[in-house]
Amino acid sequence: MLKNRLEELRKQRGIRQEELAEALEVSRQTIGSLENGRYNPSILLAFKISRYFGLPIEEIFLYEEESEQN
Amino acid sequence: MKSKSKEIVFVVVGLLLVAVGFLMLRGMPEAWGGPLPYLCLGIGAGAFGWGSGELLKQRALKGDPKLEKQLEVAALDERNVALANRAKARAFDCMLYIFGALMLAFALMKADLVFILLLVGAYLLVVGISVYYYIRYDKEM
Repeated sequence: MLKNRLEELRKQRGIRQEELAEALEVSRQTIGSLENGRYNPSILLAFKISRYFGLPIEEIFLYEEESEQN
Repeated sequence: MKSKSKEIVFVVVGLLLVAVGFLMLRGMPEAWGGPLPYLCLGIGAGAFGWGSGELLKQRALKGDPKLEKQLEVAALDERNVALANRAKARAFDCMLYIFGALMLAFALMKADLVFILLLVGAYLLVVGISVYYYIRYDKEM
């Protein structure tokens, strides 16, 4: 599963969801859905986010293998 | 700001069609007994509704570039596009079952064979279009 540090990074920089949405040219709802993990971004949006925060993609989006449950 | 000419044409043609349909029904009902007046009313109302809706939208957006930008972003937003595509895909799956049930119902009601065959043709056409786009996108991606 894909987790991300979007909310943490946004709050560190003191940016509102609306401002981030405007900078990335997406809706505020998309930012909300990304932050709570309901929506995974396209690779293009992931690159945009990475450029915006000046961090590599893998430092923002973290892939975790789903543990198998018996 | 976009040109308004297309919307104005739709509004005018829509109003004309509604007026013609109304006149056909009220003025000479015996001469226009078929579905033409209702077609005029339906298409006219649709054209008028779409055209006037677009004009009102343009008027509301006039002088508010921020709202215009917001609407543009919302229309291109990848999550909104994904939501619309998922909803369409689900509706298409449902449509196949609904069409199937409708064909079966018509067959059981012993409806005219022409209607049943038209429905079967439409069903197969839709499935064919779906297969066509699957193959086309398979080559593109």
